[in-house]
Amino acid sequence: MRRGRVLSALLAAAAVTALGVTLASGVGRPSGDAAPTAAGPVTQARSGTAPALTGTTLTGATFDAAALRGKVVLVNVWASWCDPCRQELPVLAAAQRRWAARGLAVVGIDIRDNAESARALLSGLGVQDLQSIADPQGTTAVAWGARGVPETFVVDRSGQVRWWAQGAVDAAWMEQRVSPLMSS
Amino acid sequence: MTLRRFLTLGLLVVLLGAAGTAVWRSAGPRPESAHSIAEQLLCPTCQGESVAQSQSPMAAAMRDTIDQQLAAGRTPEQVRRFFVDRYGPDVLAEPSYRGLGLLLWLLPGLTVALVAGLALRRRRRKPDGPSPAEAPAEAPPARRRPSRAWDAVAVAVIALVAAVAVASPHRASDTRPAPTADRNTSLQSLAQSLEDQGRYAEAAEVYRDVVTQRPDDRTRLKLAFALLRAERATEAAITAEQVLHDSPTSTDALLILGLAQRASGSPAATATLRRFLKAAPADPAAAEVRRLLAAP
Amino acid sequence: MIGQAGSVVLGAGLVAAVATTLLWSRVALLGVSARPARAATWTTLAMAAAACGVLEAALIGHDFSVRYVAENGGRDVPLYYTVTSLWAALDGSLLLWLLILAGCAVAMGGRRPGRAGPLRPYAMAVAGAATVFFFALTYFAANPFTAVSPVPADGPGPNPLLREHPAMGVHPPLLYAGYIGMVVPFAYGVAALLAGRTDRLSVALMRRWTLIAWALLTAGITMGAWWSYAVLGWGGYWAWDPVENASLLPWLTATALLHTLAARRRTGALHPWTVALACSSFLLVLIGTFLTRSGAVASVHAFTTSPLGPMLLGFVLASVAGVLGLLVWRSREPDSVPASPLLARESVMTGNAVLMVALAAIVLTGTLFPLLVQAVQGDAASVGPGYFNRSAVPVALVVLLLMGVAPLLRADRAADLRRLAMPAAAGLGAAAVVGLLSRPGVLPLTAFALGAYVLTGLLQAAVRQRRSLRRSGWLLAHAGIAVVAVGVAASSAYTVSTEQQLKVGETVTAGDVTARLVRVDRTAGRGDMSSRVHLELGGGADGRSEPALRYYPARDLTVSVPAIRSHISGDVYATVLAATPDGTAATVRLAVNPLVWLVWLGGALTALGATAAALRPPSRRRARIPAADAEAPVGAA
Repeated sequence: MRRGRVLSALLAAAAVTALGVTLASGVGRPSGDAAPTAAGPVTQARSGTAPALTGTTLTGATFDAAALRGKVVLVNVWASWCDPCRQELPVLAAAQRRWAARGLAVVGIDIRDNAESARALLSGLGVQDLQSIADPQGTTAVAWGARGVPETFVVDRSGQVRWWAQGAVDAAWMEQRVSPLMSS
Repeated sequence: MTLRRFLTLGLLVVLLGAAGTAVWRSAGPRPESAHSIAEQLLCPTCQGESVAQSQSPMAAAMRDTIDQQLAAGRTPEQVRRFFVDRYGPDVLAEPSYRGLGLLLWLLPGLTVALVAGLALRRRRRKPDGPSPAEAPAEAPPARRRPSRAWDAVAVAVIALVAAVAVASPHRASDTRPAPTADRNTSLQSLAQSLEDQGRYAEAAEVYRDVVTQRPDDRTRLKLAFALLRAERATEAAITAEQVLHDSPTSTDALLILGLAQRASGSPAATATLRRFLKAAPADPAAAEVRRLLAAP
Repeated sequence: MIGQAGSVVLGAGLVAAVATTLLWSRVALLGVSARPARAATWTTLAMAAAACGVLEAALIGHDFSVRYVAENGGRDVPLYYTVTSLWAALDGSLLLWLLILAGCAVAMGGRRPGRAGPLRPYAMAVAGAATVFFFALTYFAANPFTAVSPVPADGPGPNPLLREHPAMGVHPPLLYAGYIGMVVPFAYGVAALLAGRTDRLSVALMRRWTLIAWALLTAGITMGAWWSYAVLGWGGYWAWDPVENASLLPWLTATALLHTLAARRRTGALHPWTVALACSSFLLVLIGTFLTRSGAVASVHAFTTSPLGPMLLGFVLASVAGVLGLLVWRSREPDSVPASPLLARESVMTGNAVLMVALAAIVLTGTLFPLLVQAVQGDAASVGPGYFNRSAVPVALVVLLLMGVAPLLRADRAADLRRLAMPAAAGLGAAAVVGLLSRPGVLPLTAFALGAYVLTGLLQAAVRQRRSLRRSGWLLAHAGIAVVAVGVAASSAYTVSTEQQLKVGETVTAGDVTARLVRVDRTAGRGDMSSRVHLELGGGADGRSEPALRYYPARDLTVSVPAIRSHISGDVYATVLAATPDGTAATVRLAVNPLVWLVWLGGALTALGATAAALRPPSRRRARIPAADAEAPVGAA
C-alpha cells in the first residue's frame, strides 16, 4: 500500500518531468517566419557531386553547366517576384565581373517566373550580363534541393557542391566563402 | 430453432459472405497518385503544410517535379528517395518508426494499458469483506468563526498582487523590434501624414525608403505622386515609368507619368495624357486632364 | 488614454480574481456566507467585460495609439470585421477567453438552488485560480493596451484569412466557450480531490456542465473543419495539424468522461479514474493553448511567437503536477463491487471511454513527438497524417463498433444480443453493396458498414423509445457521430482532384466534371489585389465557378479563395493556385468531394443532441434526494 503510493508518486513526477522537458523545447524554438536575412544568409557546408544544370537561358540560348567544369560555379536560385533577390543580383554581377578571370562563373536559376519580367528586372538593375536558366516549373531548383528564394549553391573546381546559403548573399559572404575556393 | 431464427441466421451468413468478398476486393494495393505522394511530403518552407496543400511556389515546383518523375516512369518509392536525398528525411510527413519513432506506438500503448488497468482494477478483485478503513473523507466543515489571521493573510495577498500590478513596468511596444511589414506600414502612415502637411519632399524620401523594402505598385505610385508634388517631375516620371513597365494597364501610372512629363515640359506629355483618357475615361481626374489638354 | 483605461481595468480584474479565489476558499474552509465571494465573482466578470469593451471601443474608434489596434486594426476594414478583430490575434483573444471564463464562474456560483453542492466553494476557488492566472498572463505578458509611439496613421487590419468569411464572428467564440467550459469538470474534479469526498449533486452538475462544454466544443470543431474547407482553400477539412489536434484532445477526454459518468450515474461516487478524466480535459486545453499560442509547434493556424511561452508552460506544468499529486495523495485501494456482466452498460461504456483515452494518447503523442525529438536529439521531425490515419482511424472504428451496442444496453443485465441482428445485417449489407460497386479501400468500407450498423441500431432504439423520445438526446448525438464517420469515409475514399495550368478556353477534368477557363479578371481593391478566375462547369455539374486568388500587400500574404458548388452528391471545389499577370492563363485545381456535407450535418446533429441532453430537466426522482445524504468518498465505486 505504502510502497504503491511512493511508486505512483515517482511515476507521476517522471511524467511531469518528461512533459516539461518536451514542452520546454518548444519555448526556445524560433517561429518559422523570422527572416534569417537580417544577419546575412544562413550558410551550411554541403558535399556531393553537383546535380546536372542544363536548360534554356532567359535569352534563349541552350546552356549546360558541364562546360564549366574546372571553374568555381556559383548557382543562384532567384525570381523576379522575390524581393531580397533585387538586392542580391547586383552583388552576384559584381562578383562575376571581378572574379571571372580567376575562374568564377555565376549561373542563375530563375524559378516559376515570367521570362519577360525576369529580363526586365535584370535590365532594370543593369545586370543583363548575368546568365540565367529559365526554370518555369522550378523543377531544376528542386533537383538542386532548393527550399526557397534566394538561395545560393557554390560548386568547386572539381564539381563538388561546397556551400549552400539561404537568403541573400553579400560581398562579405563572397569574400569569405567563394574566394578561398578559387585560390585552391 | 424456429424457422424465423434460422432464416435470420441464414441471411446474416449470406451477407457476411458478400461483405467479406467486398472487403477482399477492396483490400488490394491502391495505386499511388502524384497527389498522394505530395501528401506524404512536407513543404520545406511552410509551417507544417504538406506539399499537396501548400500554395508556396516551392511546393508547386515540387508537385511539378513529382509529375515529371512519374511521367518518366519512376516508381513512387524512387520519387520519395529523390526528395529524401535532397531535403533530408524530415521532408517525409510520416516519421520513421525506428529508434525514437518507436515511442509513437509505445507511448499510446502504455497509456492505454495503464488506463485500462486503472479503470478495470476493481473488477478483478473479489469481494473479500469490508474495505480497509481509511478516512480521507474529512468531516463536513464545521461552522467556525472566520479566523482573523486567515483574513489578514488574504488581504496581504491581494495588496501584494495589486502592488505588483501597479509597479510592473509597462514598456511601450516601440522597444520591441517590429516586423518589417509593420515597420513599412508605420513608415507609410508617417509619409501620409507628411504629405497631409504639405511636406512632399520629406514624404517622398520616406516612400523611397519603403519602396526599397517592398516595391509594390501602390507604394511606387505614392512615391511618384509625392515627387511630382515636390516639383521633382523628372524623378516622378522615371518612377511612374517603372510602374508602367511592370503593370502596363495601370491608369494611375499613366496619369502621373503624363502630369510629370507635362511639368518637366516633355513633348510626350500630350500623348501620354490622351492614352490615359482613352484607358480611363471615367476616372475622377479625367475632367481635369481634359481641361489641361484643351488649354493651350 | 483609452489604452491606460484598459490596463487599469485589466489590473483591477487581476485583483478581483485574486479576491474571488481567496473569498471562495474562505467559504470552503471556514464555512462562512458565500455572499461576498459571489460579489467578487461578479466584479471579476465586470472587469473582464470592461476590458473587452475598452478594446472594442479602441478598435472601432481606430485609436492606433493602442498596440493591439495598431497591429490589427485598419481604416479599410469593414465594421463587422473590426468588431471580430478582438479575437483575430493572440492578445485580444485572451480577453475574450477571460470574459468567457469569468462568465462561466458566475454561472457556476449562481444563487439558484440546485447549483450549490457542498463541493462548490472548492470548485469555485479552483476556477478562480485559473481566472487569476489568465488575468496575470494577459496583464503581464500579453497586454493589448500598451502604448505605441509614434502613433501610426493606419494599421494593416486583421489577418486577411480572418476577414474572408462572416463565420469569423461565431467560430472562435464557440470554440473558446467549449474550451473554457472544461474548467467546470476540472474544478469539480480538483474539488473532489481536495475535499476528499463527493456527492450526487456535484456529480450531476459536473455531468451537465461537461455536456454543455462538449456540445460547444463539438460545434466549434465542426465549424473549424468547415472553415478549413471553405475558407482556407487547400481542399480538405482535417489535416491532423497541431491546432486541430489541440481542439480534438479535450473533446476526446470529455467524451470519455461523459461515458464514465453515465455508466455509474446512479451513485454519487467517483472512481479515481473518472476524477482524472474530469481534470484531464482542461489540462489538455492548457497544453493545447501552450502549443498553439507560444509558437512551439509549426502550424498554419498557430499564432506567432510571443512572450507567453514560459509563463503558460509554468502554469501547465504546475497544474499537471498538482492534479497528479492530489490523485496520488487521495489514492486508495478501490472498494470492490460484484463484477457486472461483460456486455452490461457499465463495461461497454467503460470500454469505449478507454478507447477514447487511447485516441487522445495517440493524438497527443503524435502532436508532441516533434518537440520530443527536438528535446532529445535536437533535430527536426514531423508527424503527418500518415501516422494518425494508421493508428487513430482503426481505434476510432472499434469505437463505432462498441457504440453500435449502446442501444441494447441495460444498466445491470447482459445485453440482448438478438437485437443486434438487424443492425448487423444492415452493416454487412452496406459493406457488400458499396464494396461490390466500388473499391474504396478497407478502412472506408469498414466505416460505411459500421455507420449503417450504428444508425440502424439507433433507429430501432428510437422506435422502441417513442414515448420517452424527449429524453433521448444521446440518440441524436450518437447518430451524428455515425453520420460524420460515413461522411469522412466517403470524402476520403472518393475524392478526385486534378491540378492543371489552363490557357483561356482550355478545359480541366476531375472525375465526371469538367471546367473550362473563360477568363481571368484582375482587380485592385482597397488593400488587396485579386485575380478572379471564371470557370464554366460541364459534365456532371453545370453552372459557373469563380475561385479567386487574393494578395494582401500590407501582410504580404496570398489567399486562395475556393469556389464551392454543393450538390446532394457532393461538392465541386475549385481553387486558383496561380494566375499569369496578363490574365491569359491560370493554374487551377478542380476537385469533386463526395458527401462532405455529411460531416457538417453529423457535427451539427451531435452538438444538437448533446445540447438537448444538457438542457433536459433532471428527473424528479434524482432531484428530490437531498445533496448531503448522497455524499460518498472519492475512490469508492
